[in-house]
Amino acid sequence: MDSDEEDFVFYGTPVEREEGIASRKKKAIAESSGNLRSLPSWKQEVRDEEGRRRFHGAFTGGFSAGYYNTAGSKEGWTPQSFTSSRKNRAEVKQQNILNFLDEDEKAELEGRSLAASSQFDTFGFTAAELARKQAEKEQQSRPSAIPGPVPDEIVLPATDSVGMNLLKKMGWRYGHSLKDSHSSSLYEARREARKAFLAFTSDEAKPELSTSEPTEDGLENLLEQPSESETKPSKSTPVYVLDPKQDLHGLGYDPYKDAPEFREKKRQHTSGGREHGQRRPFSSRDNLFGFKSKNMAPGFGIGALEELDAEDEDVYGSGYDFEETLIEEAEEPSKVGIEVQDSRPRLTGKEHGILPGFRLASNSDYQLERFDPPVIPKDFEPRHKFPGPLESNSRLSDPPPLEVPPPEDSNLKVLIEGVATLVARCGKLFEDLSREKNQSNQLYSFLIGGNFHDYYVRKLWEERQKSNQTKLSLEGKESSVPRMTAESRGRILGERPLERSMVTPTSTDAPADVKFPTNLVDTFTKSEVFSELLEVSKPFKDNPAKQERFEQFLKEKYRGGLRSTDSGGASYMSESARARERLDFEAAAEAIEKARLAKESTPFSQRFTEFSAGGMQFTSAGVEEVKPIQTEELTKKIVPKREEFQWRPSPILCKRFDLIDPYMGKPPPAPRIRSKLDSLFFVPDSFKASGTEEKVTSRRDASTVPQSDNQESKNVVEEEPEVHVEIENVERPVDLYK
Amino acid sequence: MSASDLPRKEANVLKGHEGAVLAARFNGDGNYCLSCGKDRTIRLWNPHRGIQIKTYKSHGREVRDVHCTSDNSKLVSCGGDRQIFYWDVSTGRVIRKFRGHDSEVNAVKFNEYSSVVVSAGYDQSLRAWDCRSHSTEPIQIIDAFSDSVMSVCLTKTEIIGGSVDGTVRTFDIRIGREISDDLGQPVNCISLSNDGNCILAGCLDSTIRLLDRSTGELLQEYKGHTCKSFKMDCCLTNTDAHVTGGSEDGFIYFWDLVDASVISSFRVHTSVVTSVSYHPKDNCMITASVDGTIRVWKT
Repeated sequence: MDSDEEDFVFYGTPVEREEGIASRKKKAIAESSGNLRSLPSWKQEVRDEEGRRRFHGAFTGGFSAGYYNTAGSKEGWTPQSFTSSRKNRAEVKQQNILNFLDEDEKAELEGRSLAASSQFDTFGFTAAELARKQAEKEQQSRPSAIPGPVPDEIVLPATDSVGMNLLKKMGWRYGHSLKDSHSSSLYEARREARKAFLAFTSDEAKPELSTSEPTEDGLENLLEQPSESETKPSKSTPVYVLDPKQDLHGLGYDPYKDAPEFREKKRQHTSGGREHGQRRPFSSRDNLFGFKSKNMAPGFGIGALEELDAEDEDVYGSGYDFEETLIEEAEEPSKVGIEVQDSRPRLTGKEHGILPGFRLASNSDYQLERFDPPVIPKDFEPRHKFPGPLESNSRLSDPPPLEVPPPEDSNLKVLIEGVATLVARCGKLFEDLSREKNQSNQLYSFLIGGNFHDYYVRKLWEERQKSNQTKLSLEGKESSVPRMTAESRGRILGERPLERSMVTPTSTDAPADVKFPTNLVDTFTKSEVFSELLEVSKPFKDNPAKQERFEQFLKEKYRGGLRSTDSGGASYMSESARARERLDFEAAAEAIEKARLAKESTPFSQRFTEFSAGGMQFTSAGVEEVKPIQTEELTKKIVPKREEFQWRPSPILCKRFDLIDPYMGKPPPAPRIRSKLDSLFFVPDSFKASGTEEKVTSRRDASTVPQSDNQESKNVVEEEPEVHVEIENVERPVDLYK
Repeated sequence: MSASDLPRKEANVLKGHEGAVLAARFNGDGNYCLSCGKDRTIRLWNPHRGIQIKTYKSHGREVRDVHCTSDNSKLVSCGGDRQIFYWDVSTGRVIRKFRGHDSEVNAVKFNEYSSVVVSAGYDQSLRAWDCRSHSTEPIQIIDAFSDSVMSVCLTKTEIIGGSVDGTVRTFDIRIGREISDDLGQPVNCISLSNDGNCILAGCLDSTIRLLDRSTGELLQEYKGHTCKSFKMDCCLTNTDAHVTGGSEDGFIYFWDLVDASVISSFRVHTSVVTSVSYHPKDNCMITASVDGTIRVWKT
């Protein structure tokens, strides 16, 4: 053994034991805590048991530091601007929001400062401001022309150029073009005017404008075309159009800012509406939402600063765009009613389809001719019936025409064959018809008796033969089915005719086949049990008809198989009566069966009489009353189920109720999950304590029943002192009150 | 007592509760009555004169049941705030709060000596609380039930609880046994007959059942009213001759104890009759309803 140990050779460094690490850690902690105490409080660092700096978590600010984890200075957090001494008191400063913002926040804020965008910068103030700022910046970056500090306020950058000033002097105003091309300037001016006009007008256009608008439109279109081809006219500052605000948008809000194509559409709508001097009810709604999204959720508007996103769309809306259809509907009747006197439907009906310089004619010569569909007579049946007879069977006996070689022309052959097939299918009349129709046609000469007539006749005969055969086969099937009855088949197969069933089929609608299985069973097997039952017991002796039905019922019950629909019921009985009777039979059969199973020691009839004497009567009158009561009583008795369990009241509860604790002196209350052995010891005790003989054995106590002898003897041993305890308890109540 | 002695005349209407009244109870001698309701208050009334005497406010949620000691000095109440409040009647102050139920407390009762409060909770337990000591822990937790315990009754030696699991369980302290009677239907309310031999159990299948306590036998079933979804009371009259109970349609029903025939039924409230309480001695009854009123009925 010793020599064995010496033989071991160790390689590498041994793995350290867990305790070693733990002890080292402990030591380190002790050291650090000692250090911690000696340090001033702001230098103390909180470390965990591993010796690491404690991490606070994301929201409380990283590592815990000294200074009790405050701002990081001895004084804690002080405002940057704060200086105070006895002489130099901290002055009260006017603070604004910028004092409280970080650099990045300031930068962010700068982007958002309010200023008129260049689009609405009618007088160029903001532009001027921007220019000034830009100049300032440049000045700062480049070396100053004048050395030394020059106050920037003195040298202001000129926003208005000299030329501009000169022009102003000459009578030029903002918004006027400098180009003297009259047409283009006119175009520009008009365009701008129109733009502004449309931006501000909604449907509530003035009536005086409405008259002039269409002509202007036309003129514009005229002018627009050539001006496009020319070089772009010099950009002129936009004209400020003094126009009353008439829409519902916010000031300066252009609903078509991002969708200029809809502006055109809108213009057409408004002009169209104006033509008729009619207000369109949906236009304002259209202005607000129609251009943006077809399926925006109704009821949820978007703010002026928000963009319409996908999330604003109505996900629950249907795929149809209601806005569009509504507008169309609103427009259509007005146009039809006023402009178009006759009820002819408009083809395209839109002004934008017209060539520039032309106007839509108020009345056109072209009238679309319309034809009404033919009136179908009431008695028309959509099935063609040839009045001629389908000469079929009569000609079958005719001798077949001679076999004729088909014509060389394959086309003709096909034609002939086709006609022959059709004629064979549709009858002679078709032949007559086609003959009449194609009298002049050379191709159809075979019908009249020209070339290949023989071939046609032969083909026709063949086709007829074919169709007749198929028809015959179909007919044969039809005729053979009803003729082949069960009897005939039985006769064919040599079956023995079945005995008639005991029950005559009472209900007429019950088919005979349904009863077939029972009858079949009758013929082949006879249950001795059943016959015995019938012989011995006749529970409905007084009512022979009923007895018969009962027998039938029994037969079916013991045989199984298909039940006939009218099993055990006479036709004169009502449905409920039959059901009740069926229940009777069931009960009686049950009783009989039970009696039989109980063994044939006692004569069966005797049993049955016993049974019938026991209160159940199988008379038709008695059953109705007796049965329901019995069942009700049964349920009543069953419903309140009584169970008894052991329950241990707490000693204090017993005390408060002024009762003796039945478990006094017993071991403390067992835990919820009692072991089997425990319950074995407890149960007899409880019986003793109650002092009553066990009337009801509970489910829980049932576990006590299987006991080994050993345990029982133990119990007996234990019970003896228990009795003593009881006696003691009885004497003790005096103690309880103390 | 004949049917003509039934309290069918409205003597007083006690108005004051804002919202549904969930329970109304006579005190021990029948001179006063207590009510509690959804407005988180308990109110003490003189039903015979029709006046309100006092309001007890402290509950955080609806008050579901209230009971008064036999000497009329203390109150106990419970409710949706899972607490049981032990009140001093005259000062209106809360002497003790018993916390421990894991859920709403449906019913509460004092024992005969007013030393123990037994409460029935939605947490499927019955809890007994000691009023003598300063402990706020329950002295006994009975969690034999498998569903919300709706109602509790106490005798001198027994604690009886009725539960939605369809059982009425009697816990006999004297012999330390639990007797469970399974009715098969959720038990809404149980009340003892005046002789203490029977339990009246109002079930949620619109049936009130009368059980014999000693054998557990079902003695009678009383039907005709509607009780399907509300916690509603039923009780026996002072002579044990009739059974009475409210209905969800605002009616009140009187059945003959023995043959279970509806002797009388008439409309007492516009809405569900949540609670009925019969005077211990006289032919007088109070009914409480969701409509916020308590009505006093006399012959």
